[in-house]
This record gives sequence, structure tokens and C-alpha cells, in this order.
Amino acid sequence: MSSEMYYIGKAHWGSILQRWLEKYTILAPQAQKGGLFLKSVTTENISSIVYEEARPVQPLKTFLFPSLEEVAGKDFQPEKPWLFLNVKACDLKALSIFDRAFSGEFTDPHYQHRRTESVFVSSDCTQPWSTCFCTLVGGKPYAEVGFDLNLSKIWDGFVIEIGSKRGSALLEGYDEALKEMVKEEREALEKMRRECTQRVDKQNKKFSFSKSHKEVVSKHWESKVWQKHAETCVECGACNHACPTCHCYFLDDVTRKAFVKLRGWDACMYSGYAVTAGGGTPRPQLFERFRNRYLCKFKHLEENYEMIGCTGCGRCIEGCQGEIDMRETLKDLSMS
Amino acid sequence: MTNKKKNPYKSQKAVIQEIKRETQGIKTFVLKPEEEFSFHCGQFAELMVPEIGEAPFAMSSPCYRPKLLEFTIQNVGFMTSRLHKMKEGDVLGLRGPYGNGFPLDDYNGKEILLLVGGVGFPPARALLYSLIKEKSKYPRISMCYGARSPEDIVYKYQIDDLKKEIDFHITVDKAESNWKGHVGVVTTLLDKIKINLKNTLAVVIGPPIMMKFGTLKLLEVGFRPRDIYLSMERKMYCGIGQCRHCLIDHYFICKDGPVFKYEMLKNLPDIWE
Repeated sequence: MSSEMYYIGKAHWGSILQRWLEKYTILAPQAQKGGLFLKSVTTENISSIVYEEARPVQPLKTFLFPSLEEVAGKDFQPEKPWLFLNVKACDLKALSIFDRAFSGEFTDPHYQHRRTESVFVSSDCTQPWSTCFCTLVGGKPYAEVGFDLNLSKIWDGFVIEIGSKRGSALLEGYDEALKEMVKEEREALEKMRRECTQRVDKQNKKFSFSKSHKEVVSKHWESKVWQKHAETCVECGACNHACPTCHCYFLDDVTRKAFVKLRGWDACMYSGYAVTAGGGTPRPQLFERFRNRYLCKFKHLEENYEMIGCTGCGRCIEGCQGEIDMRETLKDLSMS
Repeated sequence: MTNKKKNPYKSQKAVIQEIKRETQGIKTFVLKPEEEFSFHCGQFAELMVPEIGEAPFAMSSPCYRPKLLEFTIQNVGFMTSRLHKMKEGDVLGLRGPYGNGFPLDDYNGKEILLLVGGVGFPPARALLYSLIKEKSKYPRISMCYGARSPEDIVYKYQIDDLKKEIDFHITVDKAESNWKGHVGVVTTLLDKIKINLKNTLAVVIGPPIMMKFGTLKLLEVGFRPRDIYLSMERKMYCGIGQCRHCLIDHYFICKDGPVFKYEMLKNLPDIWE
């Protein structure tokens, strides 16, 4: 664990948030019908921010890579920077895929601007949802890298870990509020993390296997498991759209404005996804598109960006109209 | 050149200088881009019909002529049907060039055999211009070209000149009795020509079904997978390795390709679809 860890009491925390509000649009999980949603924090709703539990309904891409936006036409206009509060480890990790996909030889100015201007304050999961499976895919229910600040809710305050210079700057002027972490707090933190990890492990025990995910998806091209699990798929694309790492997009010029181009989320589960002008497609059958999604997650993305495209957030399971559970598909494949 | 500061989705303007009718459904568009458009043969560009759509096309003009580009395009879909209605003087969007292009350094000193079908001729023509310009580097340049019918042959006005420069063979799948040339799919030409297997590289460009059977035939003739180069095609939006539509396994056709050695693809499933 990093040495830059402090304990901060509830009273000081409120004033820190107030100060951040002056500079940033704070987006934090709040409970509403249907679950936790990332909502803009105001002085009025500041007390209903949820620090605990697990990830919200929306992935971060909803903000950083919106479902439809203008990418060519007028020059890019920067927005007021965002501060994402209580980002969970699975969602933070997913950004690494976006970082790789939208940089390099051709850098996307829209994503990059939002990504570099935004602040990420993560917080530990305390209670996984039934669909959570981060530990099955190499994750943990708390963040160790990638955050500016990380919060662990302990008793009536937080253990706060500084992860970047920007994070350190966010706490400037609050030296007196930051207490050196004492043994009891460290122990409470470790216990909380250990227990949450164990809960995730326990609820996923029946889905675990020893082979690598890449091996499991790539060695069973001909398996009947694909057809079996794709049977209830209604091709709605919810798994794609809810996924924090899915970033396939289409470009659209039918904008009634010459040289103005829109970019929108596409979904590889849609039958038209890879159809060419001549009508051909490499994946005419549903199970082929279903199989492709798993191959993309666990093989292709890994080969492109050295990390698998799944962080175990469980949104694809939660959002599936056909009650398809990725964990079951993978387990079935591992045994076939 | 680094593209880091440029918005990669923005197109430059390109004016249609001339439109040549090649066949019933194929036209060649001669474009003058606002800015010089330097490229390697085998690379492609995203052409945009304003307010309609964008699609990838390989340049068919010589890469040593970056101020005036040619694209030979078949009318097959939403975007190309609108493109075919455009007139000289109209403005298109153009961005690129994208993709790797043909690795001419690898071809140095080799005999080059092009196996080409249908509208695979446009990128093949860009390659031919480059090969012919430095003809002394290549002991022999041959091309086997197959079209559906005599009416579907593109660049008819250039074929006599090409025959003076390279070993050029042509066939059609079907023809009326007034066609004096060879009839049969393009792979049948391979039985007619002499191939020095020890020092020949093959380049295959055409529609998927032709690419498949062309490659299988080349293997049967004795080519090694590493000596066969394929120019691949799939649905594509961005052209810059982001949107993921063109993936063959983990390879981006737009970035890692469109030119691949068959060696790289041979063990991957579904490469011909």
C-alpha cells in the first residue's frame, strides 16, 4: 500500500466537496429507482451521495465517450471539467482500454480532452451486486492504481489515498484535516477490503476455472456452447452498450450539414454491424456474433491492448433481456 | 508525420475534376484535393459524399502524383449510388491516407504476379504504376485479370499500353461469341502462364470469393503462404484503428492492413467472408 494515506473525518469532507463544486461538475452515484446512477452533485443533494456498495448503472463512457456526438464540423469546445466521485475499481480499469484505443498515431481529441481534464476519485466497494465478478477476471473490489484520490469509508470518515499530483492538489489547504492513518484504521481498511473480496469470490466460486479466459474462448471455436447460450439472445445490444470497455462506433454524415460528422455507439450483436455495401457479412448468424463478442473481450482486445476487455462489472448480465450470464458461458466453455 | 494534434475525423475538400465511365456500374472519379495527398500504393482513403456518408476506397492513381487522385468505384450501395450521381465540379470529403500499402521493399528483385478480380483492378493499378516506374527492380511483372463479362472490364483504354509494359492476361467468366479472348474464372489463367516459383511473389486483390479461390489455387500451384500478399476488405468506418468494424481476428484491416501476407491470416477462422 502506498504511504500517502490519511484519515479524514466527516466534517472536513463536506467542506472539501463544497470547494470542489466551485471548480468541477461533480458526478457521483445517487440512489434512484432502478439503482445507483451517476448524477450531478449540487449543494442540495450532496448528502445523498452513495460512497459504499458497488458500481452505478452507467459506465464512465456515458460521459467520456457519449452515445452520440459531433466529431467533425465545428471545432471542439471543451466543457467544464468533471470530477467523478466514487468510481469503482472495475470502471476505472475499463478506461485503460479507451486510453489505448483513442490514442497513438490517431488521437481522438474529444475523448482525450475529457479524459485528461477530468478528475477521478475512486472508492472501495463494500458490498458487491449479485452480478459482480471482478475477482474472476483479475480484478479487486478496490482500486490500487489509476485514481487521483481513493476513498475507503471507515466508520464516520474516510481513509484517503493520494494517487497523483492532481489528487494531492485537490487536498491543498486541508493539511490539518488529514490525519496520519493509525493502526486501527489500517486494520479496519484491510478487513473491509478482505471481506468484500471474499464476498465476490464466494458468489463466483461455481463459475471459476483454472485456464486463462483467452484459452477458453479461442480453443472452442466449434463448440456447441455458443449456440446454446446465444439461444435466448434478442440482439438488443444492451451488453455492448452497458459494457464499460465496449467502444465500437459508427460514423454518420446524414446530418443535413455538409462536413459535419456524428459518431455513435455501435453494437457487434446487431446483425447489420459488419454488413458491407454489397450485403456480405462475416457473421451472418446470431451465435457467430455472440461468439465474436467473447473473442473480442478475451482475445482480440488482449492482443490489441495487452488487457482483456472485461472488468467483471456484471452490467452485461444485469442488462440482458435473455438472462444470459457471461460467467456461465465461460464456465461451460471451459468444461467443453 | 504525427497526427496527434489533428482531428482525425475531419475531411479535407476534394473537387471532382473529371468522371470517366468505365462500365455500366463503375466510374472513375478524378479528384483534386485541397492539400497534397501523399500516399503509398495500396493505401486507401475515406471518401465522403457530404450529408450522405463515407466509405473506404483505394486510390487507383500513381502514388507519385499526390495532387490529382483517381478512385474507380462501383455503384453498389447507399453511398456509392449517390456518388455516381455527382458531377464534375462537385465537392467530396477526403481523409487519409490509411493502411499499410504494398511493401515494395519486399518486392525488390522479385518477379511479381498480380491475381486480380473485378474492382480489385483499381488498387492493383496503383501498384502497377509503382512497379512499372522502377521496372528494372522486378525481373518480371505479370497480371492475371478476371472480369465477369467483357462489359465489366475496367480501364479498357489502358490495356493495350499495359500489355507493352508487363505480361498481361485477361479473362471473363462469361461472354457472347464476339469475345475473342479467354473465358473462365481468373484462376484458370494460372494454368496458362509460366511461373518461376523460386523467385515470385503473388498479390491477390478482388472480391472475397475470388480472393479465396485465387489463394487456394496459388497454394496448389506451389506458392508458399509467406509469398502471397492479400489486399483485404471489410466493413469500415473510421479507417484509423478505433471503430473495430474491420477486424479479422485481432488485426485491424485499416491499420495492420489492408495488405497482409497470407502467412499471417492462414490459421484464422472466417477470413474470406
